[in-house]
Amino acid sequence: MLRIILQRLILLPILLLLFSVIVFWLIQAPPGDFLTSYLATVASSGSSIDAAQVDAMKTQFGLDQPFHIQYLRWMENLLHGNLGLSLEYQLPNTQLIGERLLLTVILALLSFLFTWAIAIPAGIYSALHKNSALDYFFTVVNYFGVATPNFMLALILMWLAFSKFGVSITNLFSSEFIDAPWSWARVVDLMKHIWLPMIILGIAGTARLTRIMRANLLDELHKPYVVAARAKGLPEWKLIFRYPVRLALNPLISTIGWYLPQLFSGSLIVATVMNLPNIGPLLLHALTQQDMYLSGSILLIYCFLTILGTLISDILLAWLDPRIRMEGA
Amino acid sequence: MPSPRRISPLAALGSFLAFSLLLAGCGPTATPTAAATSKPQATNTTAPTAEVITYKQAPILDAQVSSGDLPPVVERLPENPLVEEAESIGTYGGTWRRGFLGPSDYNGYIRIVADSLLVFSPDGTKVLPKIAESYESSADFTTWTLHLRKGGKWSDGSPLTADDIMFWYEDILQNKDLMPSIPSWMKNSDGSTVKVTKVDDYTLTWTYLGPNTTWPLEMANKDNGDRAYPAFLPAEYMKQFHAKYADAAALEKMVGDAGFKTWTELFAMKKNQAENPDRPGTAAWIPTTAVGKEVMVMKRNPYYMGVDTEGNQLPYIDEVRMIYFADAASLNVAAIAGEFDEQERQINLMNYPVFKEEELKGKYKVYTWPGFGGGDADVSFNQTYIKDADLGALMQNKDFRIAMSYAIDRGAIKESAFMGLGEARQPVPAPNHPFYPGDEYAYKFTEYDTAKANELLDGIGLDKKNADGIRLYPGTNKPVQIEISVVPAFGPWPDVAQLIAADWNKVGVQAIVQVRERALHFQMRASNDLQTEIWNQDTTGFPFTGNPKLDPRTMLAGGITVWPLFNTWYNTGGTDGLEPSADAKKIVELINKARTVGGAEQAAVAQELFKLWVDNCYEIGTIGLTPMVQGVVVVSNNMMNVPTALGNDWPLRTPGNGRPETWYFKA
Repeated sequence: MLRIILQRLILLPILLLLFSVIVFWLIQAPPGDFLTSYLATVASSGSSIDAAQVDAMKTQFGLDQPFHIQYLRWMENLLHGNLGLSLEYQLPNTQLIGERLLLTVILALLSFLFTWAIAIPAGIYSALHKNSALDYFFTVVNYFGVATPNFMLALILMWLAFSKFGVSITNLFSSEFIDAPWSWARVVDLMKHIWLPMIILGIAGTARLTRIMRANLLDELHKPYVVAARAKGLPEWKLIFRYPVRLALNPLISTIGWYLPQLFSGSLIVATVMNLPNIGPLLLHALTQQDMYLSGSILLIYCFLTILGTLISDILLAWLDPRIRMEGA
Repeated sequence: MPSPRRISPLAALGSFLAFSLLLAGCGPTATPTAAATSKPQATNTTAPTAEVITYKQAPILDAQVSSGDLPPVVERLPENPLVEEAESIGTYGGTWRRGFLGPSDYNGYIRIVADSLLVFSPDGTKVLPKIAESYESSADFTTWTLHLRKGGKWSDGSPLTADDIMFWYEDILQNKDLMPSIPSWMKNSDGSTVKVTKVDDYTLTWTYLGPNTTWPLEMANKDNGDRAYPAFLPAEYMKQFHAKYADAAALEKMVGDAGFKTWTELFAMKKNQAENPDRPGTAAWIPTTAVGKEVMVMKRNPYYMGVDTEGNQLPYIDEVRMIYFADAASLNVAAIAGEFDEQERQINLMNYPVFKEEELKGKYKVYTWPGFGGGDADVSFNQTYIKDADLGALMQNKDFRIAMSYAIDRGAIKESAFMGLGEARQPVPAPNHPFYPGDEYAYKFTEYDTAKANELLDGIGLDKKNADGIRLYPGTNKPVQIEISVVPAFGPWPDVAQLIAADWNKVGVQAIVQVRERALHFQMRASNDLQTEIWNQDTTGFPFTGNPKLDPRTMLAGGITVWPLFNTWYNTGGTDGLEPSADAKKIVELINKARTVGGAEQAAVAQELFKLWVDNCYEIGTIGLTPMVQGVVVVSNNMMNVPTALGNDWPLRTPGNGRPETWYFKA
């Protein structure tokens, strides 16, 4: 096991180097560059830039350099442990990402907890009471949950809140708290706002997870060891939770590592629609503005966390499930 | 003179004529005394006599003055402060809530503060002094003199003098690292750099080789707009980041610490107040947080040089808070919910009916500030298209272009895409603008007449059709197909394109709408791959300064697809591209001429230019004079002095020309 972990860790920098080239190339692949996007943005608000100034900006941003120089420039920063400078913000990328990291993680953790807190009990209930009225109810709700894109749900709820209560439910804070220093009042304000994005972001995952839990558990419930345990007189409640539920959780555990990159990314579209101050909109905006150093940095961190997440999943699974551990050794 | 607030934008344009005539009166043939457009002008610059007026300040500053942190208001103001008129005298205090889209929306901040030496009048017809005290030209328009306000100060309390302008002139404009090429407004006709001379601490002159009448309009645009270098910078502060003045080792360290590679990057960032709140400025509000934050906060500048007519130092409002939105749609949702005190930028015209509905419920006030330019969705035909010789020749055919104009049902476009706002017209300035070429041209070829269109198309040899009813090129089986490229961003252009395509199909020209991402569209524009495109024409109000879209020399990224290869020809000094047509050369000649004459003569040249433009249908206008470009204004019920009508254009820095420093909250 230790060997596998070490192997993976050695592979990590090589993979990251490869990803960095691919990511940077992909970002540069669409036509135009940051300046083209900037000119377009400027043109949209009725102004125009003098050619001399475009020259000046091109030199200032290093956009007159060829692709490999731009890449090396970025790499040089990365090797020095910083993520370079955002063209648009003119601030270090580390700072931009850092500022949004806390709220991104809080929101993602909450929606993750929401998902598991609802999905596991609901899944177990559905499996144990298969084809009962409540099972059908959960099933219908789940299909809706899976089928509705969460940004759509966000839009519908935003419209409802506006048309019924005349309020816009965007952002994670009331406007007076957006830039306030952390205080108890600010935490309370955050709690007042965060529940809705939490539900919106969690709902599809909840639905999917409930279905998986239900199916996994149904597979286990009719296996001979369950029948044997029941025949030996083990209390039903103890029986279910000690054996089939633990086994049914396995596939879920194996995917838990995948949440790691999600914790970091923030939900791109929902966060943009709801104007949440997390990393999602930052990435989306950096991509549309072709701010390649910022978007490249975020995507590279995302790659890093994906690799790490997969590794963590493997470790967790091996730890939880003796069968896999045996094979691994 | 009526208060500027009551001037309707159209009627007010007439007063441009007065300004123009004034310039004309000062022409070389007139009296040789200094031609004053604004030398110590009675109306806008001179303070009420100092004995009568005691200057007052915002209560929020009282504590700082009594503790000695700030000098008294009379010492902070220049000897002769700027007097700003408004509908009513305001009360101090409050926070103005706005929304913005982050650093790419940089100009959202620029437009509020309009931080320049000269500024346009609210109606957009005159250039008035702002931070500068006055300006004048020599009789022959070759020398322009700028007078600064004696005792005027930067927001850190240091004096603003001629040295701050000379620093820009000598160490920025002429520094090859910072400015690889000299901008056109600072170049003489022979390519040499215009001479700026310091006369005394408060007086400077710009000396051109030939006559130049665009100087005031150019100067009114020399602020941080589009991240450009303004023509005046706090020299003492900026020198610490300039390679010529700073200690090399210290500078290198600062460059490295900020994550930059060269000092020019650092310098460019440090001069932008929105990115570096430490940089002293002269605007009514000074940023205290950077533009990249969740909220961009601007606080009152205790040294702002303007007062109201009763001697109260402006601005009235203490603070501006611009809240970041990741996306314009969510900003609009917040605006509809009434979360802003005044917002026009990023408000989508499509939401106009919703805003009006909410206004009826008494939630807020909604004004419209229609654009000057005259065209909000125009089709331009590529005159140098070479990928398809048949189509290229067809688009060069004037009758074809006229037929295409007649074939468009503009009434339908106005109703369904522009919600009944604006009018059907060609891309010429608004009616009361002195450059307006007359109704005859504004509405030429704009009636919906398919019979005329068919007749013209038959007349140019496109009289055979295939089974689908599409016309065939003469003597071939090749159907006439034309592509309309459109960007789904700035206006209801994709809808307009679909309507036009359907109209053109009806007269046997198969139009294909290509909705493209803007960067791709821009690249295709530059590589001469566009056939026709839909864009707006918003530069006809100022065709001789900045980057007018009908000037073949205007960079393609800021222009329209009329003659990409002529543009290359001009930009490469004739070594690449195609030699311009007679019309293109004529346009360049007219623009060059207009830049050297004033008043009625200039207006006559402008009219000739627009007549040529309309006659040839290089750019077909559909609907114009709508509030499409940030012209839908949502104002909270207690926000006062916001003009109900206002000239709206980028050179005016709208709403900056509406003097936001005089806006206030009703108690």
